Amino acid sequence: MWPQRSPLAQSLATKVILSTVLLSLGVVWLTGSALYSQLSDGIKAVNLESSLADARSVFYNARYQFLLVEGASPPQIQVQVTDVITSSTSLGTTEGAREIILLKIFTKGDTASNGQQPNYSFASNGLLATAIPENLRSKISKDFDLSHQYAPLTYRTGKTIDALYVGQRVSIPGSGRYEMYLVFTLANQGATLDLVQNSLLLTGIVLLLLIALITWLVVRQVVKPVRDAARVASLFTQGDFTQRLRVESNDEIATLGNAFNEMATSIQAQISRLENLSQVQQRFVSDVSHELRTPLTTLRIASDVIYGQRESFDPVIARSAELLLAQIDRFEKLLQELLEVSRFDAEVAVLEPTDFEFVALVRRCVADLGVVLDSPESQIAVVAPKTPVHIRADFRRVERIMRNLISNALDHSDGKPIEIECVETRTEVAVSVRDHGEGMEESSLTRVFDRFWRADPSRARTRGGTGLGLSIALEDARLHNGELDAWGAPSEGANFVLTLPRIAGNDISGRPLPVNPHKRSEVQVETI
Amino acid sequence: MTLVMVVDDDQDLAEMLGIVLTGAGIDVDLVSRGDEVMEVFRSNPPDLVLLDVMLPGLDGVEVCKLIRAESMVPIVMLSAKGDTQDIVAGLEAGADDYMVKPFKHPSELIARIRTRLRRTNADVKGSLTIGDLAIDVSAHEVRRGAKLIALTRLEFDLLVALAKEPGRVFTRDSLLSEVWGYRHSTDTRLVNVHVQRLRSKVEHDPENPTIVITVRGVGYKAGVVGAS
Repeated sequence: MWPQRSPLAQSLATKVILSTVLLSLGVVWLTGSALYSQLSDGIKAVNLESSLADARSVFYNARYQFLLVEGASPPQIQVQVTDVITSSTSLGTTEGAREIILLKIFTKGDTASNGQQPNYSFASNGLLATAIPENLRSKISKDFDLSHQYAPLTYRTGKTIDALYVGQRVSIPGSGRYEMYLVFTLANQGATLDLVQNSLLLTGIVLLLLIALITWLVVRQVVKPVRDAARVASLFTQGDFTQRLRVESNDEIATLGNAFNEMATSIQAQISRLENLSQVQQRFVSDVSHELRTPLTTLRIASDVIYGQRESFDPVIARSAELLLAQIDRFEKLLQELLEVSRFDAEVAVLEPTDFEFVALVRRCVADLGVVLDSPESQIAVVAPKTPVHIRADFRRVERIMRNLISNALDHSDGKPIEIECVETRTEVAVSVRDHGEGMEESSLTRVFDRFWRADPSRARTRGGTGLGLSIALEDARLHNGELDAWGAPSEGANFVLTLPRIAGNDISGRPLPVNPHKRSEVQVETI
Repeated sequence: MTLVMVVDDDQDLAEMLGIVLTGAGIDVDLVSRGDEVMEVFRSNPPDLVLLDVMLPGLDGVEVCKLIRAESMVPIVMLSAKGDTQDIVAGLEAGADDYMVKPFKHPSELIARIRTRLRRTNADVKGSLTIGDLAIDVSAHEVRRGAKLIALTRLEFDLLVALAKEPGRVFTRDSLLSEVWGYRHSTDTRLVNVHVQRLRSKVEHDPENPTIVITVRGVGYKAGVVGAS
């Protein structure tokens, strides 16, 4: 399968959705901020206008009221001042309304000449004069006009809110000039702005979610056919050549689908042509082998009859009869092996597993090949567990593998002893066949299982091997899910190791016997 | 003199087989077409039929079934195919033995023929029992109570081989050598197929055999009376 990647890199949809959402977030943020600053500026401007208008009318009214008490007694003036204050503020009501501050302006000499003048200074809600921004106070002291400034307002309770200070100078008869301030708290404006901000945020989030959803829908339209194509392609790879993409539109995806389907059709046609060719060829080989069998049988019997009479012949004819029979033997074996090879090629070779004792089979193969087992003059020594080694495998095939390995070793042993060793583990059995003959180059090892390959073409074939034996042995071993390994070194001989699962078809977990005999000592063989 | 019918469409091979068999003192009847077999078979019943699988007119397996329908004569199939399904098809059609062309030695063929013709249990005399069956070896008869069970010679030999040594467990290899006369052969299909055929004739329930009992992983043994 594919290598493990991060989920982001794995899904086109995720990638597209994520980048779209990120970009949209930027755009929405910019738009929202602009909208918010415009809205808040507007709201502030409207608020300011109305506050200033309010203030103007309050100040006008105050001046007018104060004019009315020109020359009146201080208590009367005090009443008038209180009246002005009451009418211009929501005194005593909740914080957040407008507050009023009245401050007497002390001019030079005030303390000296007019020390007895009454002071009507006042601040609603106990506000302090120090709360008024210095800038505003100096502006008012210089200018008769209305002035305003934004500044925070701190109540005695410690609560601070944003506020608009509007101030003007007024005169109170018999008392002198005063600074009069109206303080408009901006709590309402703040609440409005918060509402606007929250609405904008909510709208932005909803918008982003919608964008993500739309992107997902759109991407899915594009990605789904791509995913389908990938799925079909992977089924195709697994050998289902009938798989095709569904083409339902005329867009680029359809073009891709059509191109893919054309490719699939072409591949399918090529493969079935090749399959046919190879079937025809395998069938031909199989038929030829079968057709050859009947005449070969006649030949075989005829030569056997002639051979049986050879003592009555001239020596030359007698020798010819012997050669004839030997060659027919070889021919027959070749034919048999060709047929077996064609079965493997056609993949019709079937395993017929039975339970049997492995070591007995090995010993019998050794005995059948005409060498007396374990006698002093014997060429073949067998080392095997004392206890029976029961396996489940195809008897005929295992026997054939052993015969092939042993006769191959005899062919190449140059008369030197051959060692056979069987070992077993819980999951597999292994047998090595080692000869000490001329051996082979390392380069030959990869080719030793090739059909009709010979290590040394000029070498005489003492036993008339067909050149197919090892190739068939390998196929037989693999059919069991086993393995056949070869090792060899020049003038050191060769070693073949067959490893079979104890139950044919199971996996083998390793090599109980290493193919290189020099590595024997390093390997721990797990015996039971 | 013994008469063997050789059925093969290959004229040369048939003639060669004729030469060899005649040389061994066996009379030969040559037939080259599958659909001509039964006519010759009825007019001149042979002691053994050597039957090729691939025949013009009528397939060898079909011919085998036709012969079995009316005779228990030993049949040895000759096949150019060594594939299991062909061999099993021939054996299931009633053949006693088979040989795959090309055979190793003509002497092997003659040995097989002689084994099939010979009384393999010539040393056994009188009567035997196996399960609830009574075997009269001399009369070549198997009875369950009064009912006679018809067996081919090979099936009879197989049954006698098991019955004469009731306690012994026979491996497939030992049955091959005792009944079929094979040396070193490991073709257990032959035994398996014939045990199945024998069971279908002698068992009450071939699925739960009481006469020919399987000893798992080893082979077969005779069922004991009343053991079922």
